[in-house]
Amino acid sequence: MALPPVRQSVVMTLELDDIQGLLARGYGRLRAAHFSLFAAADAPAARALLTWLLPRLTTAGAAPENAAWNVAYTPAGLRRLGLPQSVVDTFSAEFTAGMADPNRSRILGDLDGSAPHHWTWGGPNSPPFDGMILLYAVDPATLARLRAELRRTLEDVGVRIVADLETLELGDTEPFGFRDGISQPLIDGLTKDIRGGRAVPAGEFVLGYRNAYGLLTDRPLLPPSRDPGRLLPSDPGGSGAADLGRNGSYLVVRQLAQDVDGFWRYAEGATRRPDGSADPQAKVALAAKMVGRWPSGAPLVKAPDRDDPLLATDNDFAYQDTDPLGHACPLGAHVRRVNPRDTLDPSPGTDASLEVNDRHRLLRRGRSYGPSAQGAAGDGPGPDTGLHFMCLAGNLSRQFEFVQHTWLNNPTFHGLYDDTDPLVGSRHCSGEEFTVPALPVRRRYRGLPQFVRTRGGAYFFLPGISALRYLEQLPASFVAGLGEPKRIQLVAPDTTERTAN
Amino acid sequence: MPHQLGVTIRATVAPGKAAELREWLVRTGRQGVAEIPFDFAHLRGVHFARLFLFEDTVDLDGRPIPASLVYMTEVDAPLRRHLAELVDVAGDGMDGAFGRCEGYPRPGARRRIRIRWLRQHLVSSSAVYVNTVGRGLEQIRQEAKLRAALQDYLDRPDHNWSADAPGAVRADIQAYVGGRPDLAWAMKPPARPGLLWRAGEAIHKVGVPLALLLLLPVLLVALPIWAVLLRLSERRDVPDTERPTPEHAHELASYEDFVVQNPFAAIGLLKPGLLRRITAGGVLFGINYAVRHWYNHANLAGVKTIHFARWVPLDRWRRVVFASNYDGSLESYMDDFIDRVGWGLNAIFSNGQGYPRTRWLLFGGARYEQDFKYYLRRHQVPVAAWYTAYPTLTAHNIENNAQIRAGLSGELSRAEVEQWLSLL
Repeated sequence: MALPPVRQSVVMTLELDDIQGLLARGYGRLRAAHFSLFAAADAPAARALLTWLLPRLTTAGAAPENAAWNVAYTPAGLRRLGLPQSVVDTFSAEFTAGMADPNRSRILGDLDGSAPHHWTWGGPNSPPFDGMILLYAVDPATLARLRAELRRTLEDVGVRIVADLETLELGDTEPFGFRDGISQPLIDGLTKDIRGGRAVPAGEFVLGYRNAYGLLTDRPLLPPSRDPGRLLPSDPGGSGAADLGRNGSYLVVRQLAQDVDGFWRYAEGATRRPDGSADPQAKVALAAKMVGRWPSGAPLVKAPDRDDPLLATDNDFAYQDTDPLGHACPLGAHVRRVNPRDTLDPSPGTDASLEVNDRHRLLRRGRSYGPSAQGAAGDGPGPDTGLHFMCLAGNLSRQFEFVQHTWLNNPTFHGLYDDTDPLVGSRHCSGEEFTVPALPVRRRYRGLPQFVRTRGGAYFFLPGISALRYLEQLPASFVAGLGEPKRIQLVAPDTTERTAN
Repeated sequence: MPHQLGVTIRATVAPGKAAELREWLVRTGRQGVAEIPFDFAHLRGVHFARLFLFEDTVDLDGRPIPASLVYMTEVDAPLRRHLAELVDVAGDGMDGAFGRCEGYPRPGARRRIRIRWLRQHLVSSSAVYVNTVGRGLEQIRQEAKLRAALQDYLDRPDHNWSADAPGAVRADIQAYVGGRPDLAWAMKPPARPGLLWRAGEAIHKVGVPLALLLLLPVLLVALPIWAVLLRLSERRDVPDTERPTPEHAHELASYEDFVVQNPFAAIGLLKPGLLRRITAGGVLFGINYAVRHWYNHANLAGVKTIHFARWVPLDRWRRVVFASNYDGSLESYMDDFIDRVGWGLNAIFSNGQGYPRTRWLLFGGARYEQDFKYYLRRHQVPVAAWYTAYPTLTAHNIENNAQIRAGLSGELSRAEVEQWLSLL
């Protein structure tokens, strides 16, 4: 069945200069990064900060040379800037409810030790904040200089830093010791070199463009009267509304503490020889089974028996034809969960399966953190190390939350019974098993500890530049007393008729 | 093994009692209905059970529809036994719930009277989908136990399987199961539902197409007229694109995602007019036939995560209820709907007031992802009190367990043995 059409006027060329740079790139060249959670004293302070930030913000237009700035807001931050609650309510329901909402916690697996009331930021027992400033720099010295500049400004305008999220200088491996960041979705209009790969429509990540259903993802639209200065782009759906969401995206940030020692201790304990001695090779092999890639990054589907550094960045594979039963890469391995590729029902191994997969992709932007970020001494990462997980999504529920619940933390993923993600999964009540399919019979590992815990997190909105300008000028441009905005029909009915099928 | 039934009991809430009943349901549901006062865990053959309220509302003509209380269960036949147990075992719970409804027998009323009252308040479904027809609760529990025993057997520390040939492993497992008196039943396939019931199903399977054949001349004339009228009606439809209120969405979410399954219930007003009434009736007639004779084993048109589902017309077809028990989150359930059975949903749901625009009954509709998801959430009814007999088993797990048992007997090729071992 053909996708329902979107009217012709939807311009599919991305307005790169209106999109914050984080959507286009992870700033791989800018190896130092720092994230500041801020809270403004009042609306003028929030506005003053935005005024200062706006000329500095990095857009998707051109790769930055030495530094990059981006900014994202929580619902509280949008309200602080003067956006009425009735408009804030038209953002995604997950965003307005917040990541620490108890109903979200069950979906996200933030239970027991990962529960929001333990969080150091973003939870009910930590101070609220308005947003996050993302700062990237080519080296630590530049970062330090820009941070000092930011701190002075924040003081001047009356904005408090609620928490500083430090990061480790960007490398290829994450704290468990595996190469990271190999598989990212290719995006129509954003990824420069798609090279025959499978591209996902930009609307999956950037609001106001066609998504994987060929539709415009729901986003805040305002009656034109609420934007008398015409700062906002017009709704590409043709409703005439002012589009507050266009060129924006939702940003997920989670501080995930990784128990690196615990992980390797478990792998060693589970692979001891009959005489009780450690078997270093078997230890790494089990860890690789859990991840689905070897430490070098080589995928188990292509290198089932031993690591092969030549395949370190290989991302050109599927599962259904080569490894349907998981004998090379276990069905429950981390990489099969975060991106099941062509294994999804109803017809695994086909394009239809990939199409289903396309609707649940995440654009990851995380950076690792650890003691050495502050230059602490010690051999290797200590107990407080992990990932500031970040991802961008046009639809939090269908993308990030779905992956977290239906794939990562689902003990029955892919026909399993009691296995959550061996690497990052929650072990709340269940999920303490890891099954390694093999001939003649599977090997079952039991009593898996939880290796990753959530220490903080929040949902943000990463607005487009025009939307930020609108927010900056809200008191001037906002016309009060117009009543509640109605949600506007995105696809004009008559157009649907004409272009059917 | 018995066949399964979708039982619905509904009664009008006594005037002024709705708020009190709602509060009672929430409190009782929070405590869990597996134990007293309902004790569903001790009612025989109950797979799932739930109690929930339809709030008072008005129909399209503004006529009031009073609040009503609904009990639904998916239970193994016979119905007679279940109704009796609702009085004998779950009596306190039923009194607490339906005691706030009109005409419920007085305290101390005789058992026979109470059972008769329940029977009088039964509501029939237009169609009931059963994941696997004839797989009773007892079988599901036994086969789960079988799998667990085999998992432990394979984990035996004193044996290294990796050197064994697949055939030898299977023979070893067969010997083990055959040698355990508590598992020996697994060496034989499960019994089928009763002969009488199967004969009735067979007659339905053949009888319906025959009857349609007889009606063919009439249908040939009527169908094109119906199609044109339907298309014209679709062009006049006004989809409802309102979002669910944050309060409603929050209440719904607060009952979801505690175990591997969730209950779903939604109610909607049928669009006005005879055309939609005939269409809905015809489609449900077709769904009833399809789920009884085609989609009766572990797969509903590509969706394998639904344990049970039913469509129940209410209030003389002014409203239709859809209720199901499914695996995973509502988000994944709705995505399955859109990606796999959008056409099937459109066929029935598009007769509901406000559904996203369809074309020729089957197209569009659910493919308007966001509008469809809002529509479902807006029509969804909170289910405060819900029971599941197997909270850790997905439909996929249950089917896998059944296949493990099936592979214990009979001749298998080498490839089939390897395939079977991969189920473990």
